[in-house]
Amino acid sequence: MSERPCADPLTCILCPVGCELEVRRTDRGLDVRGNQCEKGIGFATEEVLYPKRNLATSVPVRGSETIMVSVRLSDRVPREMLFPILAEIARLRPEPPVRRGQVLIADVLGTGVDVIATRTIGSERSPRGDPPEV
Amino acid sequence: MKKPGAAQPGTPPPGAEARYDVVVIGGGVVGCAVLRELSRYDLSLLLLEKETDLAEGVSKANSGVIHGGFNVPPGSLKAGTNVAGLGLIYGLAAELRVPHRKTGKLVVALTDGEKPRLEELKTQGERNGTPGLEIVGEAGIRRIEPLARGRWALYSPHTGIISPYEFTVALAECGRRNGARVALEAPVESVEFRDGLFRLATPRGVFAARRVVNSAGLFADEVARLAGIDEFRIYPCRGEYLITDKDPGFRLGLPIYPVPPKDDPGLGIHITPTMEGNVLLGPSAEPVGDKRNTASTRTVMDRLKAEAARLMPELRKAPFIHSCAGIRPKLVDPRGREMFRDFVIEESAVRPGWINLLGIESPGLTAAPAIARMVVDMIGAKEDLRPKAVFDPGLPESPRFAAMDDGERKARVEGGSGWGEMVCRCEHVTRAEVEAALRNPFGARTMDAVKRRTRCGMGRCQGGFCAPRLVEIMQDEGVPLDRITKRGGGSRLFYGRIKR
Amino acid sequence: MDNGAGDDRLKTARAEGRGLPLKEGAVPLYDDDRIDTGLPLKEGAVPPYDVVVIGGGPAGLAAALGARRAGAGSVLILERDKRLGGILNQCIHDGFGLFLYNETITGPEYAERLAEDVGREGIRTETGAMVLDLGADRLLRVNSRSGYRLIRAGSVILAMGCRERTRDMIEIPGTRPAGILTAGSAQNLVNLQNLRIGNEAVILGSGDIGLIMARRLTYEGMAVKGVFEIMPWTNGLERNVRQCLMDFGIPLELSSTVIEVRGRDRVASVIVARVDEELRPVPGSEREVRCDTLLLSVGLIPENELARRAGVELSPLTGGAVVDETFMTSVPGIFSCGNVLQIHDVADFASHEGFAAGAFAARFARGELPAGDKVRLCPGRGVRYCLPQTARTGTANVDLSFRVTRPLRACRVTAVGRKSGKKYFGKKYGRLLPSELQRVRIRPAIEEDLEVACHE
Repeated sequence: MSERPCADPLTCILCPVGCELEVRRTDRGLDVRGNQCEKGIGFATEEVLYPKRNLATSVPVRGSETIMVSVRLSDRVPREMLFPILAEIARLRPEPPVRRGQVLIADVLGTGVDVIATRTIGSERSPRGDPPEV
Repeated sequence: MKKPGAAQPGTPPPGAEARYDVVVIGGGVVGCAVLRELSRYDLSLLLLEKETDLAEGVSKANSGVIHGGFNVPPGSLKAGTNVAGLGLIYGLAAELRVPHRKTGKLVVALTDGEKPRLEELKTQGERNGTPGLEIVGEAGIRRIEPLARGRWALYSPHTGIISPYEFTVALAECGRRNGARVALEAPVESVEFRDGLFRLATPRGVFAARRVVNSAGLFADEVARLAGIDEFRIYPCRGEYLITDKDPGFRLGLPIYPVPPKDDPGLGIHITPTMEGNVLLGPSAEPVGDKRNTASTRTVMDRLKAEAARLMPELRKAPFIHSCAGIRPKLVDPRGREMFRDFVIEESAVRPGWINLLGIESPGLTAAPAIARMVVDMIGAKEDLRPKAVFDPGLPESPRFAAMDDGERKARVEGGSGWGEMVCRCEHVTRAEVEAALRNPFGARTMDAVKRRTRCGMGRCQGGFCAPRLVEIMQDEGVPLDRITKRGGGSRLFYGRIKR
Repeated sequence: MDNGAGDDRLKTARAEGRGLPLKEGAVPLYDDDRIDTGLPLKEGAVPPYDVVVIGGGPAGLAAALGARRAGAGSVLILERDKRLGGILNQCIHDGFGLFLYNETITGPEYAERLAEDVGREGIRTETGAMVLDLGADRLLRVNSRSGYRLIRAGSVILAMGCRERTRDMIEIPGTRPAGILTAGSAQNLVNLQNLRIGNEAVILGSGDIGLIMARRLTYEGMAVKGVFEIMPWTNGLERNVRQCLMDFGIPLELSSTVIEVRGRDRVASVIVARVDEELRPVPGSEREVRCDTLLLSVGLIPENELARRAGVELSPLTGGAVVDETFMTSVPGIFSCGNVLQIHDVADFASHEGFAAGAFAARFARGELPAGDKVRLCPGRGVRYCLPQTARTGTANVDLSFRVTRPLRACRVTAVGRKSGKKYFGKKYGRLLPSELQRVRIRPAIEEDLEVACHE
């Protein structure tokens, strides 16, 4: 039987236990060992066959090169979409004010996932009385 | 008192060839001391410095010791200028408000066998005129400096410490306030002698001078050669240092030196406190091929620590936060057998009007004020020097937040000024000080220039925290992003913005 | 901005147009400060703060909340940066909030949520305010554009975070060109100032910050030639090795280090070499890697300058204060939490510490924390350190943090009484890594010195 490990011991990241999983390709598909719960199989399968990632970067607000809005995706996307999505994000120049959680690009590149701001900029006076940043 | 058309106080006006009575080449401690001394007289003066700031050569990378004058042979210029400089430097440093302290110094003999060498040094010093030298035993050593170890020691009570780069900049600043000009990033690329004037071509323009003082340190031989003076050669000899944190876990009161090793082109690896409380360990002495090779090496760093352990075991476990190296401009090959070559302080025989100051290694810092006087005497012997009616010999206080008491701090910060914004958390430097440093009249605007003027970046995080803030302030002060450098030249920090 | 719950003193103070009543024996030290009532202080009435928190990052924000929720009347956060959040503001990647908010969010989001709570619960904050000095008497010297002030506090919570180990601290020989940065500095310059710090980087150290920056640089078109780690194991989370290096084909070389930097004005290359079991370079293994940037991710050091000034006892094992189970240091009324106490890998845990320390600090400010005999909790075999290092005799349910000295498989952690040999705690683990801070609870009341050890 042609069983070979197809990924280095894969640490599951779904919960703090961090099971070390061993994944092998077999004729019947993927064989996952080392998991202490069911979710581990799903994680390993996904990680080996169609790995998904989240993404975080930052873009300047319109009119500035130094006031940065940090952004992330609302959910993970296939790993091969990372650089195309980065290119899309690189074109963004959000107009202040920007609210944390605000959708800057909806359904980016048809992935069903949004690009959202992870920071608030230039809003009305924030609760603690700081002046707006812009 | 701005002259019309002046680009910036202290720098020469742009445009057509400018003419000066005296041009000093080299902005180290010697060149700046000469500039200040000459600025007492009715002379138009210019100092040309090739780097982006003053004191970029050996003047910033030495032990900062004011020497007593017993390490050098009697009758030499080194001895004469050392002792004469010793008599001048404390007053000068006080006038210029440069941090300094007469700490005294111990040269320790770890064995009885080394004692005769101490006695030789004492005799030599007495012949040179070094005041107050005495040989002490173990009890005396403990009384003077409990951290020092040794069987015997030569105690020189008039030795001291001073910040060498602050001193250099202060000398130039004083010269500038008295009318002298300084041009940075102005390496002399060619020298022509025509119609009784030296014509010095630099990227900042051509400057003509009746007299030239060549104090270009490591490159003084090359500058002399530009003027057709071929007789000199500088042999670079590197000295590496390790520097401790400000509170290394002990308080060292004065420099501790070993008996100078016979085959050492320097004074041996010694331990020196600085005015700020750091402790310098070094320097080593190794010949290098490249005048700009200030790299630190593993073998030397290990050797420094081993040596230190002999002189002061506490230093073994001290937290070292920085390493640096200076290059001594030696006139004698340190690999050869001849150990000693004196300072060259003379008007060139082949180029009258051209004064050469070469080979100014230790005790050059102490000797600088005396060398400056010698230069004035040399020029004065050839022409009438008219003292200016008004000469301001000192400098106003340069306020430092870290040194202020509560009351003064409160007053300074009143009204929301830049004194209230901390930039360097390790050294407690405020924005006001950083801005003042960037606005220095010489136009030095590199990270290192700010560092040496404010201490920003000299603390234990070595700029980790303050560098991003410094970068912001530099841009606010008008330094374009691609011109933000560590120390000029190609030492750029950034390659533009990520997203424009 | 009122927090109605149990805040009568503040309400009364506002209604009466004055600050909080002066505590008995308190000496007015400053005259023009304002409390968040928005009303000017009457002359002579000076409110010493019940709790002052130094640092507004994940630990400090939590500590202030913990103090307030435990009933502290006036709580102040002093943050030296332009805004609250501390290091979180530059950590734009996700992985935060799993324990605190039950979802993974980015650093800035985590910081904003805590800061919003802080604002809602009547905690006073000052940004651009740096504490320059702290005395054992809990007198602080603070500098900000609003003025240079002396502030006295009922209790002080140290939450200043940490700094990074530098090139010179690990003594990498070579030249001193531009282009050598600690990974955290680089993160600040890239994420907060949009700066291209180099074109081709080598990263020394496989700590999380270095791994995260490897990915960040790659995202923004700056090449990473490799990550070199001196130990035979990685320092950062496994997840980060996968997502930051393996995903991009960035090589990770263990048992390797940088032995020289070259380049006069700007980094031109580094020399890397393998190291042996004693971590010494192996002759003949050297090779040159061309690059213009060297990022250092070689360790974090708790920033305890203020703690030193106040005479707080520090532990050489953690670099942070020696504390008891209330997070109080050796100086009464001075507490410590977060990265300044021990380096954390998960910000949520730093916040947990903060909440706890804040609650205890509030109680101290009310005079409710009795002194008492203490026992010591000591690291034994296999354990690099454990924290708290002391506990009041007879305390039950003490939460203990610890790290192991090296990666261990199939091991057992125990806490055993030094005198009696009684086992106070025991747990089996499949795997323990030094890079992962462990937390356990010692349930029985501790009556003697304990030794915490890990056996394979």
